[in-house]
Amino acid sequence: MRAVMVMRLPRPYADGRAHATPTRPGTRPRRLSTGPTAIPARRRTTPLDSDRLRGGGRDGGTVGGITVERVARSFGEVEAVRHASFSVPPGHVAGLIGPNGAGKTTLLLMLATLLTPDAGSIRIAGFDPVTQPREVRARIGWMPDTLGSWPALTVRDALTTSARMYGMAKDAASARSARLIDLVDLRPLADRPTRVLSRGQKQRLSLARALVHDPEVLLLDEPASGLDPGARVALRDLVRRLAGEGKTVLVSSHVLAELEEMADTAVYVADGVTAAADAVAAAGRSARQWRVRALHAERLREALIAAGFGTVAHIDHLGAIVPLASEADAAQLLAHLVSVGVPVSSFAPAVGDLEHVFLDLNRAGPPPAASAPDPAAPIDGEARA
Amino acid sequence: MSAAPGTTPVQAPTTAARPDEGFLAGMWLIVTLDLKQRVRGVAWYVLLGVFVLLVTIVTGLLVLATNAWDDGGGGVFSTIVFFVLLLGTLVSPALSGNAINGERDAGTLATTQVTLITTAQLVVGKWIAAWLTALAFLAASLPFLVFAVALGQVSAPTIMVSVLVLAIELGVIAAIGVGLSGVLTKPLFSVAVTYLVVAALSIGTLIAFGLGGTAIQTTVRQTYVGVDWQALEQDGPPPAGELAPCLPPDIREYPTPRFDLVWGFLAANPYVVLADAAPGTFDEYGSPRDLFGWIAVGVRSAQHAPETDALIDDCATWRPSGEYVQPDVETPQDVYDRSVPSWFVGLTINALLGGAALFWAWRRTEVPARRLPSGSRVA
Repeated sequence: MRAVMVMRLPRPYADGRAHATPTRPGTRPRRLSTGPTAIPARRRTTPLDSDRLRGGGRDGGTVGGITVERVARSFGEVEAVRHASFSVPPGHVAGLIGPNGAGKTTLLLMLATLLTPDAGSIRIAGFDPVTQPREVRARIGWMPDTLGSWPALTVRDALTTSARMYGMAKDAASARSARLIDLVDLRPLADRPTRVLSRGQKQRLSLARALVHDPEVLLLDEPASGLDPGARVALRDLVRRLAGEGKTVLVSSHVLAELEEMADTAVYVADGVTAAADAVAAAGRSARQWRVRALHAERLREALIAAGFGTVAHIDHLGAIVPLASEADAAQLLAHLVSVGVPVSSFAPAVGDLEHVFLDLNRAGPPPAASAPDPAAPIDGEARA
Repeated sequence: MSAAPGTTPVQAPTTAARPDEGFLAGMWLIVTLDLKQRVRGVAWYVLLGVFVLLVTIVTGLLVLATNAWDDGGGGVFSTIVFFVLLLGTLVSPALSGNAINGERDAGTLATTQVTLITTAQLVVGKWIAAWLTALAFLAASLPFLVFAVALGQVSAPTIMVSVLVLAIELGVIAAIGVGLSGVLTKPLFSVAVTYLVVAALSIGTLIAFGLGGTAIQTTVRQTYVGVDWQALEQDGPPPAGELAPCLPPDIREYPTPRFDLVWGFLAANPYVVLADAAPGTFDEYGSPRDLFGWIAVGVRSAQHAPETDALIDDCATWRPSGEYVQPDVETPQDVYDRSVPSWFVGLTINALLGGAALFWAWRRTEVPARRLPSGSRVA
């Protein structure tokens, strides 16, 4: 969707490998694997998807990953999740996006074998969390949104204990915890009790714990909250690398810019309903703001006014924000600006793809659950605020 | 996060899942985890110190009060054991009553439950850890018990049985505490309810016994035959071999409580279990040598229904020589010996109570959770 990127360097990656992984093309087409239909998204015939499925995934690609079909869960009167259907194939990072109270954490708890769905089915790496919780637990790494740690234990002890809870022998567990401490950069604190950790440090410990048994499916609930920018970059790289190794990652976050850089698919959820693929596509196509910058601000202003954008464009000292109906329009405007000699230095959507779709879906009302037997009752915008 | 994550392998060194991991290994992991956390806190040591101080004071006072140097320490020993049980029941709920819901509040329960540790391993491990913690208090009181034994006259079976039963009772209380912490959502509430259960067992059973016995009353018909002192004065003492002149039987009726119908309440009392389980030792007059014995005799004599048709015949035992003929009265030892030992009934009731609490906690804590109590979260 990001058709035009001028003067924007590809994102740097510390290990230099991310670009080479097949899951991470330079300009990344965002495939939205959401879909409430009974057919799992991985069976849809998007060329890229089928391509991935043949190559990626340790289980041959057909049983791995996460598949959620028509899942519902309520707590008493409160319907936390009403209709969730999506799938994440192995080797993919999916962002789980939705407003507060949309049911993201409930969904993750069901995936993490902690809650039973009232209806629908879940498959994680081919196993059912309700009837085969042990098989699922051996394969998932779950990072909860609540940060808990055994306060009196040292970081090292906490990780070793977690490893041993997965049946690792003592030596293997302590070797593993030492490696993870390096991975999440907690070495200076390795022998301090976990109660002295700051929020961001606890977050990193929690991530290390989720990785302790080398799970093939990772469920990360708000992993970046509390992290400093350096740790966020490292988290992003780590997640991409894990996906490159064929692992499945589902990340929920409010920081959409962050997901933008990490995720290659997205699951939009609001009011406990995941958005249908066509709604997402429509939202992605809708009019959006584009930010234009030029080396010569005055010339940009003149060119825009001359092109008839004088009344709709918001022009300030940083450049201009121009509403455009489609990417074709954007391409056309860019070509025009360049042809009249405006030194354009940047031409990009003002908000990220995820944010754009997210805002658009929420503006349009609850995402329609296509072919749902119990269509989501329309709920006014206030309820979701 | 490492600055160069590419240098660090992400693969685990061994395969993570070993499905046949033994129940005991996983449970023991939970026990050691729990104990490690307790031992590294200060609170536990403070409690232990206060406990030792209190037992020291009580022992000192007991020795002075009971003249224990002379009479052999049976009383001191039994009182110290009771005191340890009292303190154990006071401390144990605080140590165990938030074992599970406290972890849920701290956010560490769910992260354990997503591992290969089963809920049964978790609950049982928590219980064993709480029990071991309570046993540390028993261990701290051992020097005082040894001192009491050193005074002499406490039999080896008494020592062994009473310490063993004490340990089991502490386990029961730990089980109730851990169980309730799995059933109730709020730690404060579950600790309070654990205290209430302990109070119900220790004091409630006494109240139920007392009130229940008095509420159910039976009318006793007592016949009294006295010596006719007037006739005796007029006629002089009867010739040898003849009976004294007797008054006509005086019959009176009065209500009496039926403790024999409610003695089962007392059986569930931990103190009674402890006292009744210790083998009774009696002196030459048939009187118990220690506190255990007196309580056991008291509880066992409550088993017997009052005689509804009692006859007191003073006239029959009167001798003109003024010699006092001892009426055929039972000694405490006789009562003890002809009654049913109640301790195993009480111990079974207590063990079932603890086991049920643990089972309930296991059912309530099992994940994936189908139904959640209102106001609670899984994680």
